[in-house]
Amino acid sequence: MRKFWTVTLYVVLFIASVLWIYPYIWMVVASFKPANEIYGQFLPSRFTLEHYRFILEAADQMDRSFMLALGNSIFISVIVTAGVLVTSALVGFSLSRLAFKGRNLIFNFIIFQMIFPGFMFIVPLYVLIRNLGLIDTRTAVILPSLVSAWGVFMFTQSFRAVPNEYLEAAKMDGANDIWIIRKVLVPLTSSTASIVGLFTFIGIWDNFMWPLIVVRDYTKMPLSVLLASFNMQYGSYLGPVLAGSVLQTMPMVVIFLILRKYFLQGISMSLK
Amino acid sequence: MKRRLKTLEALKGWSLSGGYLLYTAIFWGYPFVWLIVLAMSKWNFLTPRRFIWFDNFIKLFQDELFWRVFINTFNFMLYFIPMVIGLSLLFALGLKRVKLFRTFFILAFLVANVSSGVAYSIIFQKLFAINGPLNDLTRAIFGVTIPWFSSPQLATLSIAMMVTWKFIGYYGLIIFSGLQAIPDTLYEAAEIDGAGRWTKFFRITVPLLNPSIVMVLVLSLTLTFGIFTEPFLITGGGPMRTTYTFQMLIYTTAFQKINPGYASSLAIVVALLSFGCVILTRKLVEREVELA
Repeated sequence: MRKFWTVTLYVVLFIASVLWIYPYIWMVVASFKPANEIYGQFLPSRFTLEHYRFILEAADQMDRSFMLALGNSIFISVIVTAGVLVTSALVGFSLSRLAFKGRNLIFNFIIFQMIFPGFMFIVPLYVLIRNLGLIDTRTAVILPSLVSAWGVFMFTQSFRAVPNEYLEAAKMDGANDIWIIRKVLVPLTSSTASIVGLFTFIGIWDNFMWPLIVVRDYTKMPLSVLLASFNMQYGSYLGPVLAGSVLQTMPMVVIFLILRKYFLQGISMSLK
Repeated sequence: MKRRLKTLEALKGWSLSGGYLLYTAIFWGYPFVWLIVLAMSKWNFLTPRRFIWFDNFIKLFQDELFWRVFINTFNFMLYFIPMVIGLSLLFALGLKRVKLFRTFFILAFLVANVSSGVAYSIIFQKLFAINGPLNDLTRAIFGVTIPWFSSPQLATLSIAMMVTWKFIGYYGLIIFSGLQAIPDTLYEAAEIDGAGRWTKFFRITVPLLNPSIVMVLVLSLTLTFGIFTEPFLITGGGPMRTTYTFQMLIYTTAFQKINPGYASSLAIVVALLSFGCVILTRKLVEREVELA
């Protein structure tokens, strides 16, 4: 009897897993199907690259350059992720390893900051970006995300846990602060760096509402907004829309699969 | 010498965190002040701003659309929260039982969580379309076509289902790590005392899972107030404005109706509503748990 239930549980979990991945499978398979077979049969009569060729070439003539958008997305995401990692590590270092007046006050302020949801700031932040003359630039997307309270919090917490002996030893050898951060603290807390990097990258890559507001120029848009606008205007070009969706999804999935170990750690860390 | 080192350290500390404070003053503090100023102003981004005290808030509570969205939000919660909590709990309990393929199951559910908001909205729109694969299937088996996104009540349910699909892996794992933290000895002791399967579940598992469940509840409540991409792309708020969300309302008020003042007062009210829901939930659900 017990065995029966175990087998049933496995079968249910397998079916559920397939069901959960199914939208991905459908998306990828459909993006390689001839246009008239996308709805209808699951396996096509032949596989084709025409949709990918379309978004690479023809979409340019429709003012929707997917390649440019992909480039923008990569540019924005890489700069923001690097910026968050560097600033979080530096500020986290100062808040955990340097003694100065007001340190705890700043740390408590950072926790206080995290209470407020991002949507509260959208309208006034738009006013600020407009006053700075940054509308329709990639900088408008990058600048407000370049430093993260959550990132500083995570780095401060994990740097605090590093035993003092490591730092004393490094200082004895005449190491400066940057060297200590790069060669001692970050390697010892590599999972924190990975978690912050992973979540920041996914968050900024997938960001939709903010770039939708500040970027209306098709050549400056990240892929998320360009894909949405292409879908709204040319939704009947089903194949290219799906190929674009694959393009938008794959970097996130690949990075997730590479760093999956840290994603799991991140979930259990967020409980504390 | 020692004193000079100390001053140097304080100087370094202040310049690093000072940089953070400067950035925060510009991109957090300044907008924060402006949010409050705007919420009490009438403005169209161009002509001079007019200070009108609490008129925006008064207008807000008389606004039919605001209450429509208010009802939509709680309607959505009614579908979403029981569904996501129930299924995440089942997923976590299932995971706890299996030894083989555990990582595979976790990844299969988590990969949904890292799907792009825009791409997965598009995919679900196509999958659930009237002539889409899902309706092909239901037509073939039951002979019915289900208007997933074009019938008012169903559209809310459909979006709740999409969001559930996305978050079960994440929430399930939070509950799962709560389950892992319950010591086996507790169950063994209960078995010696003759406790049955259900007694163990309701007397040990559920009470000790309280922190994880509260966490998932808080996350899903905050999420509900932040939904934008799915209805914006799939239904545009329709049919009959039943899937209109607070975020869409803020967006359209500020950037299509060009009324940033009203949108700011709305953002404040929505944030307060969200805080209120979280505090209320914690008060009602949270229990002290001691694991000795």
